[in-house]
Amino acid sequence: MLLILDILSFLLLAAGGAFVLIGAVGVLRFPDFYTRMHAAGVTDTLGADLILLGLLLQVPDVMTAVKILLIIFFLLMTSPVATHSVAHAAYAGREAPLTGKLLLREHVPLSPEAEREKELQR
Amino acid sequence: MSMILFFAAAASDAEPMMEVTGQAASVAIEILILTLLVATAVSMIRMRQLFGVAMLSGIYSLLSAAFFVALDAVDVAFTEAAVGAGVSTVLVLSGIALTAKREMPVDRRRQLLPLLIVFVTGGALVYSTIDMPAFGDPQAPANAYVGAEYIAQTPQDVEVPNIVTAVLASYRGFDTLGETVVVFTAGLACLLLLGTTLRGGGKGGRD
Amino acid sequence: MYLTAGIAIIVAMALMLARAIVGPTVYDRVLAVNSFGTKTVLLLGVLGFLTGRPAFLDIALLYALINFIATIAILKFFRYGRLTGVMSDENPAREELR
Repeated sequence: MLLILDILSFLLLAAGGAFVLIGAVGVLRFPDFYTRMHAAGVTDTLGADLILLGLLLQVPDVMTAVKILLIIFFLLMTSPVATHSVAHAAYAGREAPLTGKLLLREHVPLSPEAEREKELQR
Repeated sequence: MSMILFFAAAASDAEPMMEVTGQAASVAIEILILTLLVATAVSMIRMRQLFGVAMLSGIYSLLSAAFFVALDAVDVAFTEAAVGAGVSTVLVLSGIALTAKREMPVDRRRQLLPLLIVFVTGGALVYSTIDMPAFGDPQAPANAYVGAEYIAQTPQDVEVPNIVTAVLASYRGFDTLGETVVVFTAGLACLLLLGTTLRGGGKGGRD
Repeated sequence: MYLTAGIAIIVAMALMLARAIVGPTVYDRVLAVNSFGTKTVLLLGVLGFLTGRPAFLDIALLYALINFIATIAILKFFRYGRLTGVMSDENPAREELR
């Protein structure tokens, strides 16, 4: 029984480590900000949760298990929000996504509010 | 099949064997974290864009907190987590908002005095570590009797299970109070100094 | 077992550090720091089990929260140019941040 748990947690830790690495390579290698954000998502959700689940199978007492479950809960709640707000800030700051041909900074579609402001300035 | 055998062998390592590998493993991880710390520090010095420097200093404090945990200094890591990673990054950013975005190159001759000061300070710090007892030395005061006394007395004096908490909040309660006042004053001073950016906040938004 | 995961996380941290150094935009750096924080949480958890003291998970828990708050604060600062007050889309910071 213990052996099965150990093997399972080894597999989970190895898979989590692999996903974390893959995500990091993606963040380093992808061409523009939005695709990099996509790669970082792999680390923040799948990799992190697999590693934490692997640790959860090895806990010595209930309190530690509760702490790990809390960490999983907070990561699941906060990392999508953080990713969303990074994306929103980048969009509002007119960071250009790469679509087909390289877009120029002036041609990026503005957010509705920024569009309205531009109208007002004119 | 052979893979399952491998996992079985890895999992059923004898207990003392695990101990030794665990120690070697944590030393390896400490060395890796230190390498990353040095790399971060060097790139912070090389970088001219101040926002990048602020982000790197956030990374630096994350790494140093991980290193403190590896060294068993959990309370220091806690402080580093709260102050270094959270508050100081935000304060540095508010400071950047008041100055330029990029660092200007400095004249070579004006770099000499700061370099000298850094070397003297670093030399003094290294010199003072020579006097300190070696790490884990049984003859050191902390290990010889002070620690044992606290461990023996704490359950009777203060009814707190955690001895570090008892020392910080009860035995050295006034010391901690003083520290808290100093930190609070420093925070207030930062807010006053950076007030021009922070105070403008109420203007734009409607309540 | 823990060492494998720990070293994978540290290597990933090094790659993320490279992205934070290279940039090129502010948002890349914020993303790298946020992701670095998540990896620190994981590394602290793995370190706790590696040294046989899982009680250290308290710090990992604290980090998971602080990291989120710091990221939101940085982004709010860049989106609105200030930290206090209501988040309204009027008059957002119009600086070129490249």
